[in-house]
Amino acid sequence: MAEKPQPVRVLYCGVCSLPPEYCEFGSDFEKCKPWLIQNVPDLYPNLLKEANDKEADKVSDKLQSTGISSGAGDGAASSAPRQEEVKRLPGGKIKKKEKQEVIIEKVVRNKRKCITTVKGLELFGVKLSDASKKLGKKFATGASVVKGPTEKEQIDVQGDIAYDIVEFITDTWPDVPETAIFFIEDGRKVPAA
Amino acid sequence: MFKKFSGEDVSAQNQVKASVQRKIRQSIAEEYPGLEPVLDDILPKKSPLIVAKCQNHLNLVLVNNVPLFFSVRDGPYMPTLRLLHQYPNIMKKLQVDRGAIRFVLAGANIMCPGLTSPGGVLDEDVGAEFPVAIMAEGKQHALAIGFTKMSAKDIKAINKGIGVDNLHYLNDGLWKMERLD
Repeated sequence: MAEKPQPVRVLYCGVCSLPPEYCEFGSDFEKCKPWLIQNVPDLYPNLLKEANDKEADKVSDKLQSTGISSGAGDGAASSAPRQEEVKRLPGGKIKKKEKQEVIIEKVVRNKRKCITTVKGLELFGVKLSDASKKLGKKFATGASVVKGPTEKEQIDVQGDIAYDIVEFITDTWPDVPETAIFFIEDGRKVPAA
Repeated sequence: MFKKFSGEDVSAQNQVKASVQRKIRQSIAEEYPGLEPVLDDILPKKSPLIVAKCQNHLNLVLVNNVPLFFSVRDGPYMPTLRLLHQYPNIMKKLQVDRGAIRFVLAGANIMCPGLTSPGGVLDEDVGAEFPVAIMAEGKQHALAIGFTKMSAKDIKAINKGIGVDNLHYLNDGLWKMERLD
């Protein structure tokens, strides 16, 4: 047997997981830059220079703005987490942030039986499987997580619970404000509050 | 093909029979002779080989939950990019010019002009319907794995349209799936 070729150890960028040489084509070259400077400084020679320039800029900025730095600091803090929420689609396009709202709809079947569907709970960081269990327990009916029309998951609860559910949702998940809950009546959105 | 790919697309994964395992090993060894000395390291005989079936007639070969090879419609087994980066010389290589990198990394198929331009390199031996590694001008590592639509000679002669189908590229769904549980 011939001598074993050793596996090549490839370094991957800690930020975007690509090999560092492809970082510049990745979705977030800006975010990769600090990592690159630290780990593979010789790959992008321009980067170091750029970083140094920036550093200098920052220092001068700081000197200028010490007086108003408290106000500016608050602004930066509030804008930072919002940026993180921007999700990236596979194509590198930025996904629009969805409106956080819960939509409740009553669907009648067999004339006198109905199903209440709840959409959008997951946008508030609620686990749907847990939520469906809680709903089922509270209203003593069947409740399940189903794939909705647009590949989105929703909760179906048997029976007409449209009016009790608002209170239940706001009680169990305090993160969900009552103003974000909507009913669908005759094809129109009606706020619950 | 792996543009949108996640654990959800795996419909079933099961440990395969020893005979199937043998068959997979054999076909991989045939396809990539350069891999033969290390085949025992990559696919240890002892550890179970798992085949994950996914949508679109896609099979993934997993060892220790790490996807190593994939195949489409019982076609040839192709290594994942992470594996290819470790053993770069097992596949025939085609090189695209710098301008094409951006599009390839977005999932585009490789067009002939990108391969025939000064920045590209064509391996004349490559026939049609052949798995190849796509390299890039000025870069060390492969950026995609493709399946040639026409032979290298045709690519040169026709110089138009899709030359290589892009199957798996950096930062697609399969790349992001380092482990499958």
